[in-house]
Amino acid sequence: MQDLLEVRPAPGTDYRARSRFRTVGLTLGFVGVALAMATLINGIAAGVLAGRSGEEVTVGRLAAWSFGLATTAFGTIKFGIAVILVGILAQLWIRVEAVKWSLPALRRAAGAGETIVPGTVETPYGRATVSISAPRPLLIHRMARALWAPMLAMGAMAVLAGFILSLVQTSNVGADDALATSQEAWVAGLQFLGEGFLLSGVSFLLGTILGSLRKGGGEVQESLGVGVRTLDMPLTAKLFVGLMALGLMVEVFQFVAYAVVATFDDAGTIASSFAWLGPVREAGLGVLLSGIVLALATIGKALGFQFSRIVEIVSTGS
Amino acid sequence: MATIGHTGFRFDVTRRALGFNLPQRIGRRLWLPMLVMALMAFPAGVILAAIRANEIATGGSADTIAALGHFVPAVNFLGFASVFAAISFAIATILGEFRSGGGKVQEAAGRNVETLRMPGTAKLFLGFMAMGMMILLGAVALHVVAGTAIAGGSSYALGKTEQWAIWLEGIRRFGIATYLLGIAFGLSTIITVLRFQVVRIRELPEEVRIAG
Repeated sequence: MQDLLEVRPAPGTDYRARSRFRTVGLTLGFVGVALAMATLINGIAAGVLAGRSGEEVTVGRLAAWSFGLATTAFGTIKFGIAVILVGILAQLWIRVEAVKWSLPALRRAAGAGETIVPGTVETPYGRATVSISAPRPLLIHRMARALWAPMLAMGAMAVLAGFILSLVQTSNVGADDALATSQEAWVAGLQFLGEGFLLSGVSFLLGTILGSLRKGGGEVQESLGVGVRTLDMPLTAKLFVGLMALGLMVEVFQFVAYAVVATFDDAGTIASSFAWLGPVREAGLGVLLSGIVLALATIGKALGFQFSRIVEIVSTGS
Repeated sequence: MATIGHTGFRFDVTRRALGFNLPQRIGRRLWLPMLVMALMAFPAGVILAAIRANEIATGGSADTIAALGHFVPAVNFLGFASVFAAISFAIATILGEFRSGGGKVQEAAGRNVETLRMPGTAKLFLGFMAMGMMILLGAVALHVVAGTAIAGGSSYALGKTEQWAIWLEGIRRFGIATYLLGIAFGLSTIITVLRFQVVRIRELPEEVRIAG
């Protein structure tokens, strides 16, 4: 089960094979853009009608399903991105096996068999811990590995449920406006909660990639019998965790707030609530995306450290 | 430097490791400034939205409410454009680490350095990223123009505000989708690079053995 969530291919997997995850992910990306194109055309039509009198109901209906479809389009592309990240994860483990297989033949014999002194060392990439065996996964890495799949599943379900509700809302615009407004609040809250879950799933996948880099790097060094150097958690990684948690909390908050607004009767109160809730839900996604930036920066740093360590092993043997 | 294309990849062969290429160097320098800009834009959008909500709740002027209705998405989507740029630049930095690090390992092993040429997905990554950014920044600029016109007392702009808002919303959505697709291409390039490096590192022991 652990290997399944780490997406670790079985030993002997064809390392030359093209990634199916990449194909599926990019296909989902194109589907998402096609859906967004449909909402753009819909928006142009709605804008034209908005300039004419007596078309308020039609414009309202177009806006209702367009919102649901646009958020579904973003969700589809984000899900595609998650699938591609799974492909990266699988490919990283194939890389670990390849480096394990090749390094014994590439390293200089001179440094082999040197005594390992556990402790810490300073590197150009920050402080690293030296140990005899590969480090155990950190709590955050174990959490990330366990949670990326449920988060993606919950996100996809919430976004789709919101889209279906937006279609129901469309049928109520002009017929029962109070109900349609209430449903509008539920659609926004549900779909952005789903988007938040999807981005959290992507964040947890990035966390799993970081955990795999740490574990895989340790395994390679341990298999060679050299001191296992593991980069200490950089500041960017700590900030990533904080921003991800904050962003997810904002999305949960906006969902609860929209659920409350859905019970309001007064049009003025509803309008003012919608006015501040829209940017809040977008800011929540912005915070999650900011966390993703820091996760990617951390991956870049971890890769730089790993390459420098491989070069060191090849050059000195230890 | 020679370009060779066996094993299904097109790559350059050099004696020494290549460093980051131009887009990767730009990415390494700009991901953080873009992130900082995004982290400033989102709270600013929330503050403007709170002012607008207060205007609506207290029966404020239609001009102010309509103008803020354009300024809020302008600020928020400036934030999205910045954060997507930061993500794209961070991906470019990762690709740079692979290019530079992969070369250094081959150089340390005393072998020719084979560096993957920019794959088609990387070119699409740059293309969609540029397109997404231009669409989003275009929409932001038009929102600012509309908001400024309304704030300046233009009754024509006030009359057209709903229509413009609907059009710009559609454009913004398409811009976001395009940007996200660009990011998907950037990430899929990492898979290609990893595949190439796995094939290359498995070739090295045999080359070292033959070279003695």
